[in-house]
Amino acid sequence: MSNAATPADWANGLHLTAGPYFLGLYQPSPETKDFWAGVELRELLLKFCAESGNWLHPKRIVCPDCGSDKLEMRRASGRGKVYSFSEVHRAASPAFAKSAPYVIGVVRLEEGVHLFTRIIPGSAPVKIDAPVQVDFRVLELGQLLPVFVVAA
Amino acid sequence: MRSDIGSKTAIVGIGRAIAQKTDEKKTPLQLGAVAAVAAMKQAGIKRSQVGALFTGRAPQAYMMLQYNQALLNELKIGPTFNSEVTPHGAGALGTLQLASLALHAGVIDYALCVTNEASGLWMDQVGSNVGWEGDLQFEAPYGCTTPALYAQFACRYMHEYGITPEQCARVSVENRRWALDHPHAAMRHKGPITVEDVLNSRMIASPLRMLDCAVWYPGGIATAMVVTRADLAKAKHQEATWIAGFGQCTTHEWVGERMGGFGYAPMEDGPDLVNTGALVAAKQAYEMSGLKPGDIDIVQTSAPFSFVHLMMLEELGFCGRGEGGDFVASGGIDYDGGLPFNTMGGYLSFGQVAQGLYNLHETVDQIHGRAEGRKVADVEIGMVHGHGGPLAAHSVMIVSKEPLQ
Repeated sequence: MSNAATPADWANGLHLTAGPYFLGLYQPSPETKDFWAGVELRELLLKFCAESGNWLHPKRIVCPDCGSDKLEMRRASGRGKVYSFSEVHRAASPAFAKSAPYVIGVVRLEEGVHLFTRIIPGSAPVKIDAPVQVDFRVLELGQLLPVFVVAA
Repeated sequence: MRSDIGSKTAIVGIGRAIAQKTDEKKTPLQLGAVAAVAAMKQAGIKRSQVGALFTGRAPQAYMMLQYNQALLNELKIGPTFNSEVTPHGAGALGTLQLASLALHAGVIDYALCVTNEASGLWMDQVGSNVGWEGDLQFEAPYGCTTPALYAQFACRYMHEYGITPEQCARVSVENRRWALDHPHAAMRHKGPITVEDVLNSRMIASPLRMLDCAVWYPGGIATAMVVTRADLAKAKHQEATWIAGFGQCTTHEWVGERMGGFGYAPMEDGPDLVNTGALVAAKQAYEMSGLKPGDIDIVQTSAPFSFVHLMMLEELGFCGRGEGGDFVASGGIDYDGGLPFNTMGGYLSFGQVAQGLYNLHETVDQIHGRAEGRKVADVEIGMVHGHGGPLAAHSVMIVSKEPLQ
């Protein structure tokens, strides 16, 4: 993973390395570059299929209902509810250790799309169905990412 | 759609190679080749008779394109059908499923199925595994770990059915008891554990504590099996273990994206984190075999966390939906008198090799009365569940001592 303070350039792929060894190129992902451009502007964008009216995960390439590949990016409300969560005590790597314990989970957005994310206890603790609001923070790897803060 | 393939194919040879961390270091290819030769020898077949070679996903510690062909190249065989069966942990049993289909179609006489992993010898599995389990764009940057990905399922499962940590802990306790009897179990020297030990162990990713989690197998295991048709099994082989039924179902690749799934079994009406492909795979296996859960004498499941065992007991049909906790708490899988369940100690105490046929090997050994650990008496029919994470891909296979139809 990139440690730069700028977002990873998914449209051109990521070089995966293990120590000095080049392991290969993580698949370029032009279908998500607009999502990450939105994050830079602190906007949460989702895919939307005008054909079937479905809101879809930002990675979607085709609409599972109608098969359309003409998906557009639309701004989401940024509001949702906690669907599931886990408080991580054993961190993923040394980079995350200083933040432990931290909460990661799945949020169900008002639009019906679920996003995997960091959940931040706000004025209320993290629990299932707690209302959350999107925010944008630079997390441990130096990337600006959408996170969700528990609302009162 | 009902298949007539049940009991039309059988396992007629098995080979295994193991390397522990304390042994000389071996690659998956070394172990796989040795196991494959042993399986062919036990079956009494020559290299030239191998019609198909099916292998699981390329081993994590030996990543190369066309791993299957590296093994084929080493064995000097020329199969007319070869492939890697990719749905990670479920692909191990998937090799025998594909073998059965090819045999039943009449295009080959013998299939060689091989799984081999030695990640425990070569890799930091705890550190590297999230690179395989989590989406690199949408999950890994949040600091997700493999336990934390499975914990999303645990969170919903416990919430929706009122499952308690105590009930989950019982699984860890019973798995450990079986492992203490097994010469190759990772935790065989660690002694028994109690429910309190589990509940007092270090929190890893809530609600999962250290003793709720699988231990990575501290070594490598390769398992190879020779599979053939019923007529050949009866005419030419002394021992056969019959493939009575099987099923497979894969629902997603990443946890976050699973929640975008709908319109297919088992998520016809929309996504959730409780109904897995094991439900679908088990239904297929039961229908193919004509059997029901009460006919099964012994069960092995591929479950890397304690709560997953409860989910699988439900989905494989041994208790109702949401009743896994009560089933286990009331002695359903007790070492003494319960359903013989994970008789090597399971992933929690035998250890998890990244993928493999070692659970099926154990079941075959139990059926023929030669298990290396505690022997279960009078095993006629066994069920094996294989799974690739995070609860994404599932296979179920039912094997029997005698052909059933």
